[in-house]
Amino acid sequence: MTKEVKTFLIPNDLCRRAGIAVTWLPIDQISVFAYERKNIHQKDQPSHFSSNNQTSIFHLRQDVVLFHPILRKLVNESHGVFLAVQTLMTSKTVNQRIELFKLSRQYRSIIRACLENLQDEIMKSGDGVEKEELQNYITVFYSIECIWHLCEILFVEVMPGNLVLTQLLEWIRFHFPKYERNAATMLSGDLTGLESQPEYWETVLGNLLQGRIKVVRVLLRQHSASDSSIFKLVDHVFKAMPLCNGSNGPSINDFNMQWRHWTMDVQSKIDAKLFTSEKHLDLMMRLVVGEEQAWIEIQDQCEAWYEYLAGWLFFTEPTVKPFELGQFAKRSITKMRMNHHMKHLDRVLLAAMEFDIFQVIKEIQYMPENGWFVSHLTDLLHHCERLSSLEKEVENFSAEKLRESFILDYAVTLMGHKSLWQVGLTYLDNCPNDGLQVIELLLPRIHIDTESKALKIIREAKNRGLNSVVQCICKVQGMISMKRGRLGNALSWALKSQDGPFTSFLADKFLQEYIKSGRLDSKDLLDNLGSCMLVSDRLIFLGKYYEFQKLYQSGEYREASMLLISLMASKIIPKYFWYILLLEAIPLLESEELLFSSNDTFTIIHCLEEKEHLPELKEKIEILRLAAARNLSRALTYEAQTINY
Amino acid sequence: MSHSLHGTFVSEKINKIRWRPDEFNNSHFFITGSVDNDQNNVKLWDFYENEEEDDIYPFLVSTFPYCGDVTEAKFLNADYFVTSSSSGSAHLIQIVPAYTESISLKNTITWEKGHHFKNGDPSSCTGLAVYDNDIITIGEDGCINLLNAKAPKVLRRIDDADSCSIHCVIFLKHNEILTSNLRGQMKIWDLRSQNNVASSTFMISGDQVTPTCLTYHPTQRHLVVTGDDLGALTTWDLRNSTYPVNVLDAHDGGVAEVLFDADRPDRLFSCSGAGQLWRWGTRGAGGNATPDVWLAPDNVKGKLDVFALMPTLHQPINSLDLNRNRVICGCDNEAIYLINGVDM
Repeated sequence: MTKEVKTFLIPNDLCRRAGIAVTWLPIDQISVFAYERKNIHQKDQPSHFSSNNQTSIFHLRQDVVLFHPILRKLVNESHGVFLAVQTLMTSKTVNQRIELFKLSRQYRSIIRACLENLQDEIMKSGDGVEKEELQNYITVFYSIECIWHLCEILFVEVMPGNLVLTQLLEWIRFHFPKYERNAATMLSGDLTGLESQPEYWETVLGNLLQGRIKVVRVLLRQHSASDSSIFKLVDHVFKAMPLCNGSNGPSINDFNMQWRHWTMDVQSKIDAKLFTSEKHLDLMMRLVVGEEQAWIEIQDQCEAWYEYLAGWLFFTEPTVKPFELGQFAKRSITKMRMNHHMKHLDRVLLAAMEFDIFQVIKEIQYMPENGWFVSHLTDLLHHCERLSSLEKEVENFSAEKLRESFILDYAVTLMGHKSLWQVGLTYLDNCPNDGLQVIELLLPRIHIDTESKALKIIREAKNRGLNSVVQCICKVQGMISMKRGRLGNALSWALKSQDGPFTSFLADKFLQEYIKSGRLDSKDLLDNLGSCMLVSDRLIFLGKYYEFQKLYQSGEYREASMLLISLMASKIIPKYFWYILLLEAIPLLESEELLFSSNDTFTIIHCLEEKEHLPELKEKIEILRLAAARNLSRALTYEAQTINY
Repeated sequence: MSHSLHGTFVSEKINKIRWRPDEFNNSHFFITGSVDNDQNNVKLWDFYENEEEDDIYPFLVSTFPYCGDVTEAKFLNADYFVTSSSSGSAHLIQIVPAYTESISLKNTITWEKGHHFKNGDPSSCTGLAVYDNDIITIGEDGCINLLNAKAPKVLRRIDDADSCSIHCVIFLKHNEILTSNLRGQMKIWDLRSQNNVASSTFMISGDQVTPTCLTYHPTQRHLVVTGDDLGALTTWDLRNSTYPVNVLDAHDGGVAEVLFDADRPDRLFSCSGAGQLWRWGTRGAGGNATPDVWLAPDNVKGKLDVFALMPTLHQPINSLDLNRNRVICGCDNEAIYLINGVDM
């Protein structure tokens, strides 16, 4: 790992003078602010940097290229494929490998669509900086596509007979489309004297190296001398060339035999100097038989060593096996004298051809696209069981853990985004070891600005059985509502998570508010508490007390007094509310109609004696006693009468 | 036209999507409102249909940068629509026709911060309903505002209409609205009455369920369907609203929107937070389509057919709209989908 230190300047004078401190903000930001260090021996006083002027706080976060609008499409679209891969692995599909190959191609088509979008955007943007940025993205994703394609051929695709050349040529043709394009333009234009065009021979040779023998023959036929014997001979040679096309062609042994015969035939024609009159044709024939000198002559035409490699293999090792690629790749690099000029892309491709998957992953994990590539490719390779063999070779290596660590990093990056957090969440779902714990940590830290978002996050938490997160979010929402003076709403949030202590806390607030103002708020809510009251004793009390008030106000005194007595007999009255309840009894005790039986009155007196020490009752206790005594006498008299009859 | 599905990634989560009404033709313009973006937008799109290639893709016509999440959008007529914002404001936006340049979006009225808390915090304006030119907005502050598309001022404000945040609202009549709050309390308000008290109140259920959407039957307005955050669809006959007519456990995840097909009232469309988009129809549909099926208290499920309009997405579908036989929907995977031929 390269250890580069990047320095960011905080453009602030106060920070410069006082020094700075840094603290983490949720998920992926850090906050920088001016800070003066003090130790315990210094006097506790305001810093001399402090002032009443506004000061700035700086939030920093890593620049994530994936958050560019165009790349967000890639993130979202590839997310779908990623999930398809996971579902496939848990299903019992017979041809998993073939399906994985299809999904790998889907990934690549998404990358290509993304490249196309980037190209379109470049056309539109005139600005220099933005254009450069887009150009950088294109370079990065072009490399990704190139590497992915090769990895797909070598590690994902199931090749018939283990023959790799056809796919390899396809890969080269796709990434070096110049010759095919040139040939197409030439052939669609004026055909007379095609060789007079400056690119004619270059195009012929280019197509030859990419194994497009048919195109080569068509181009040669358009040469004005195509009727001459030498051209005819060349055409004949190509026509006779045996082709190895995997399963439906001849068997490998037969093919090798045919091939040896054919090259010997061509070699004998070269030795007989049949082609010397036309130097290009001579070169082509010498290339075909793999003559060293000829390949040295041609190598300057190749843009990359792997282009050279594919051509060379096509004519000298047509039945090359995947595991032999590495040695040939190294040979090509030496031939092209590239050993000391290997770029990142070259190194990754070489590592892939050497089947050094470990090295491939090592190289691509630092590509500047925030781990999109490495996490998706590693996941795919893991499911193709390409990583399990490494477990035997490398000590302490677990394919499963490697996959998870990349996906985890990628997911956490996404979780830091305002919009993409849901995508991040489903990636975390696919981390069997630590995913859930990370979700538990990150979910409550997502910035919530509306209740609908809160409900969405709660839903996600509930789906994953994270009740602590649900409670935490509901509590935060409740506290916010409370601060805004919306006690009713706060209570709704508390009830949503069935949070007993928090509900009690809020019910207390309601009662205290009542003591202060003599008014109960949120009547519409208290009216319809229903069964959810049972969450907390305090709420039951609040509900019952509200019911008592309603009865009292509507003049149903008998019911009201019964409720009051049952409340007093219960043990759920908060200490601070006792005196209110006792005071409420006075008018009922003194009412014209007899409301309390003697037993009821004893209950009241009993409570009164128990609570007489309450300071709030001091002034009223005499009145209460008197009222109770008078009611008791009325009740006893009345009850005596009824018994007599 | 056969049943076909077209998806497009748009780089922002779509919270609301609405066809621009067109009385005579198939609509091809539609608007989207985004959510959770650093800079949210209201966008006008055109579903460009290429006859030859049989390829349809939406073409961005105009963008209007929006303050806050777009929480609701409703068309008043073909040229004007109203949007509500999580910043507490509401906007009347005009689709300016193209005489000289391209079609554009123009903000004609802003009802600034119509919703706010008493401590000064901004409150999200969670939704709105329209009837002719009358507009009702509701908010987390529990207030109801009455606006008119011709007046830049709030005409009437019902403070503390609800002690909880209000989440949905619809017009029942010109003078009557229905609201629902965070804990499932539904209230009917008579707008003619000057005292700020609901004319009736009922509960969707005792279990603190939050209704997430409301709609009424196109021909029988007293018939109301609510979707809630547990995925159930509840039908109410408001002539007797103490108990629901029936409750269908429908979606996994909250119901995001429900919509009756105005041309065929026996059909209902719904989408959910679990990424489902469904069409409900009466079983054995054909000539004798009866709206009564939604009113039948017993065994409704046996009489209904549910048809998934597209494979389940892995992310919530937030909004849907219908025009003739074409459904569009906007989703949290930053994509919009067009489904052609939904009556197939």
